[in-house]
Amino acid sequence: MDVSSFLNALILGVSIASIWLIAALGLTIIYGAAGVINMAHGELIMLGAYSSYMLQFYLGVPYLLCIPASFVIVALVGLALERGLIRYLYHRPLDTLLATYGVSLVLMQGVRLIFGSDPKYLAVPEIFSSNVSLGFASISTFRLVILAVTALLVFALWLLFYKTRFGVQVRAVMQNKEMAASFGINAGRVYMLTFALGAGLAGVAGSLFGVLAIVLPTMGASYVVQAFLMVVVGGGSLAGSVAASGVTGELQSVFASFTNDTFARFIIFVLIVVFLRFRPQGLFAQAGARR
Amino acid sequence: MGNLYHNKTAQWIAYGVFFAVLAIIPLTVDDSFLLNQFATYGVYGMLALSISLCWGFGGILNLGQGIAFGLGAYGMAMTMQMQSQTESNPIPPFMLNNSLDHLPMLWQPFQSTGTGMVLAIAAPTLFCAVFGGIMFRARVSGPFFAIMTLAMLSAFYTIILDRQAYTGGVNGLTPPSAFQFAGVEIDPYSPTAYWVVFCFLMGATVVAKLITQSSFGLVTQAIRNDAERVRFLGYSVAGYETVIYTISGLIAAIAGCCWVMLVQYVSPAQLDVSFSLSMVIWAAIGGRLSLLGSIFGAFLIQGAQSYLGDTFLATWLLILGGFFILVVRFLPNGLASLLESGLGLLATKRPSPAAQSNGDAKPMPAE
Repeated sequence: MDVSSFLNALILGVSIASIWLIAALGLTIIYGAAGVINMAHGELIMLGAYSSYMLQFYLGVPYLLCIPASFVIVALVGLALERGLIRYLYHRPLDTLLATYGVSLVLMQGVRLIFGSDPKYLAVPEIFSSNVSLGFASISTFRLVILAVTALLVFALWLLFYKTRFGVQVRAVMQNKEMAASFGINAGRVYMLTFALGAGLAGVAGSLFGVLAIVLPTMGASYVVQAFLMVVVGGGSLAGSVAASGVTGELQSVFASFTNDTFARFIIFVLIVVFLRFRPQGLFAQAGARR
Repeated sequence: MGNLYHNKTAQWIAYGVFFAVLAIIPLTVDDSFLLNQFATYGVYGMLALSISLCWGFGGILNLGQGIAFGLGAYGMAMTMQMQSQTESNPIPPFMLNNSLDHLPMLWQPFQSTGTGMVLAIAAPTLFCAVFGGIMFRARVSGPFFAIMTLAMLSAFYTIILDRQAYTGGVNGLTPPSAFQFAGVEIDPYSPTAYWVVFCFLMGATVVAKLITQSSFGLVTQAIRNDAERVRFLGYSVAGYETVIYTISGLIAAIAGCCWVMLVQYVSPAQLDVSFSLSMVIWAAIGGRLSLLGSIFGAFLIQGAQSYLGDTFLATWLLILGGFFILVVRFLPNGLASLLESGLGLLATKRPSPAAQSNGDAKPMPAE
């Protein structure tokens, strides 16, 4: 294997990492803050893709505006989900996992009933469908867009969690819910907002993935396990998920250049299981994180 | 008189009635297709039973039961595939399509039916023992363990999909002829096949019930309720968890073998995440704390899927998902808990004189 194809794999790895990270961002926030294992996350991604499709197809909204609009729509869905179901289950972590799986079935079949099982496509501006050449490597422009959006979102989340009052409240509730509540923080409200935020991030991921792949009712299922593993390997913190996605994305890309994509994914899964055996708390453990 | 639901004799009678009803089915059903379908429900019942044992009694939520089921099924399918290969035609056709010119090492033990069967059961069981042992020793538990099983399941799914020359890839294995055991061909549509599944289901249920009533079972249930306390009492929590997880895997592996015997087919879909999650749904809806309830849950859901599924083809998953959400939200212990509280109501409404004289009933005003 020569140097240029290795570099190529590394650059592709950054792109894979950004895709995995943006799929995992919403989950990181929901799991990190509320300890909820949201099995419906993949379907929230799928809803994001479909809301972009709807806005584009029926209202003719330009693609770049569809991304924030999907955020709002899916965040509202997440809000309804939290108020209607999840908030009753915070003290039963295994049951949130099961209930959200029920939600994912309902969402998947509901979308299939409304839109049918035939694939939909999102139209993007002409400029996104070209390739950018970086001398030795070439990468599609849209992957760079995903990378940029991911970087932007991570920065925004960092600002939100570490520079605002709301962020302080979230981190306080994360560390000790009862203590935070006795200092006058409305923990229920914090959970509700973080859940909506996490769902909205899934919506953004969906509107991007809808371009990368086709829009299907079942598209979410392929992302959810991967996204979970990023969160768990990272330990549930934002920095952890960034690091976990970065490392696994690069490894996936490098392994795939030796063998193929599927076998590379198998190696990644096994490595993750081995890694978590020795470090169950993940890369960056949080203070007082629940298990 | 206490709640009849908790009466051990009543429980065994319920088991007897349940299996007597299942035993009548092949005597009354002539349709061999229907009989085959009922037998596959029996396999699903075994899977729900294994989940109930592991999750309901051990408190270990296993979202990767498809590993044990799938490995068992693949082992059985490989055995059956090799049974139909002859001297002149020693290699399964899909391998030739993948340009393999000799039988791979992995397949050689399956040339003998006996070794193949043993491997089909032993390999998944051994995997559960090793994987469970490693995980539980590291004190991985709860939702975290569930995610690890999910990761492992996805790993197996991808490797089976990828190694097409050895596993048949996405098409899976379709052994061309029925399973032959000790010179007898077990036609999947015959009552014999039903009886085989019936015996395994009954055996597994009785063994599981005895386990839950033994002192071993009591300790596992204590671990489910509070693992730390049990650890402080000096029990090896990891050891108990590994054993219950392995037994559950063994039952699932046997179910996998039976399943291939019935349908003569296996594909990576049996290791798909959604199939493993449906096993959990069966147990959750039926009642994970009740072995019989879980089996009933599998019958109920799969039966409804087959019969309502045609009428409500488009909305079936919607109904299932909605029903499942309601059960998790309002009936965490499933439909069996309805029976439990129903019988409990009966017991408190009509307290027997014996209970009063025992002193555990409240003083009653004179009637």
